Amino acid sequence: MIFHSSRRFDFFGYGILLFLIFFIVLPVLTVFLWAFAEQWFYPAVLPTKWGFRFWSLVLARPDVWAALVTSIELSLTVTALSAVICLPAAYAFARMDFPGKSTFMLSFLMANAFPRFALIISIAVLFLSLDLVGTFTGVVIIQLLNTLLLMIWLPTAAFKAVSREMEEAARDVGASAWQVFRYVTLPQAFPTIAAALLMTFVWTFYETEGAWLVGAPRIRTMPLLMMQMINNQLVVQYGAVLSVMLWVPSLAAILMARRIIGGDTFAKGLGG
Amino acid sequence: MSAAVTSLRNGWRGLAFIAIPVTAIAIFLFYPAALSIIGTLVRPKDGGGYTFSLQSYVFFFTDSYSLTNLGRTLWTTVVTLILLVAVNLPIALYMRFTKGPLATVIQALALFPMFVPGIIICYALIRYMGPNGWLQSLLALVGFHHYASPHLTPWGPVIGLIWDGMPLTLLILISGLSNISDASIEAARDVGAGRIRILVSIITPEITHSLLIVSALNFLGIFGQALMPFMLGPTNPEMMGPFMLRTFSSVRDPLQASTQATITFLICSLAGIAYVRSIARRPKEDRK
Repeated sequence: MIFHSSRRFDFFGYGILLFLIFFIVLPVLTVFLWAFAEQWFYPAVLPTKWGFRFWSLVLARPDVWAALVTSIELSLTVTALSAVICLPAAYAFARMDFPGKSTFMLSFLMANAFPRFALIISIAVLFLSLDLVGTFTGVVIIQLLNTLLLMIWLPTAAFKAVSREMEEAARDVGASAWQVFRYVTLPQAFPTIAAALLMTFVWTFYETEGAWLVGAPRIRTMPLLMMQMINNQLVVQYGAVLSVMLWVPSLAAILMARRIIGGDTFAKGLGG
Repeated sequence: MSAAVTSLRNGWRGLAFIAIPVTAIAIFLFYPAALSIIGTLVRPKDGGGYTFSLQSYVFFFTDSYSLTNLGRTLWTTVVTLILLVAVNLPIALYMRFTKGPLATVIQALALFPMFVPGIIICYALIRYMGPNGWLQSLLALVGFHHYASPHLTPWGPVIGLIWDGMPLTLLILISGLSNISDASIEAARDVGAGRIRILVSIITPEITHSLLIVSALNFLGIFGQALMPFMLGPTNPEMMGPFMLRTFSSVRDPLQASTQATITFLICSLAGIAYVRSIARRPKEDRK
């Protein structure tokens, strides 16, 4: 203990805890309360009437289903494309030597060095002349760009972690390069790659700004629908129900993925 | 086959493997950025051909609304950045030097925003801190009736952006603090250094790199945000994100939107260069 002795009551720690409860826990809890509230008027501290009425109302709306289908189609397309173009690159970064390797790796990180929304604007201006604004393809491209970094750098780390000795041993007993990859490298790297795929899917599902600028109003994804419901609808519960309904499964998925990847990888990958 | 030929072949194969994502970055990131910057400077002439013109910039820098928006964006960025470091540095220090159940709970809570999508954070904050929100109810319960909601004021986006930036800031700071060995701190204590002295002489130099990365990334992240300022902030003046969005989508003026984007690029290039330089300078094996 450097900053406090263990004998004393840990004021500092409990202070942080209190701050985090007010700043992080209570806002999230608000969403859950609203999702199960049929009636809640200020200044009641808790909903005055609980129930599931708004769940059936949300599920009966055709625009919710349409947006859900659009979002899932988009996320599946983007994740699949991202995997196809990024996984070979990740393998190359981890296992091959080629000229300009570190420069290319750096160029991916450089994508971080731009203000995101200004980039989206300049892409949208280009898409305007290519007639890609308001199209599925346009949204796929802009969301795909978002996923490249994650999809290259997590699998690169996964391929690097595969033991070279095992690969060489397999070569020694006569396995071909493809067999080594298929039966030695891939199974070991697979958990991390699966986690990267899952995260890419969830992040694409919730990507808002690119879809908003390039897709709206013709392509309406789930986050855009939620935005509209938050801004225009008098019924507060719609936003809460959608949030809880979609976010709880994705949270479970992401937490599973995180368990595989480990916390430090993120900070390291961004240069921390 | 000689070793040189093998390595040459491997080299070509490696390049082929990375060709598509590199091309995608070049075509869809660097090319549009370059194109929109050039597009703001070189305009088509009436009688055909092109001419160099700074007119859209003259408009931006003489338009008081544009300038107020830029000023608001800078204010929000600087205030959010200072608050992010002020909030996260003590938490990171606590987590580095304390073990036990409380530290575990704090870590879990502080990193939690990472798992909450932006749109849901916005909704949660509006219902929580907005007028007649839950926070106001709770405060009224304990007898505090003078709550002024930050929602739709300049402080709305600041709070949202702190929420959003907290996990990454914390992870990078903790990663920096993990470089400090317990032994070096104990050695300093043995020779009689106090807490402040340890903080200034041992901890600060070790986390300078992390602080630089945190500042650069958050500067870019905050400056280039549209969702939070749009949902939580006032509409007049507004931050560059929603301003660009409106200029592009509602006013339908791609030239002025590109000009705004270019000015954003220029201001953010300072942070961008600092970020790229500091990751490029790190030892190779450290960079994953």
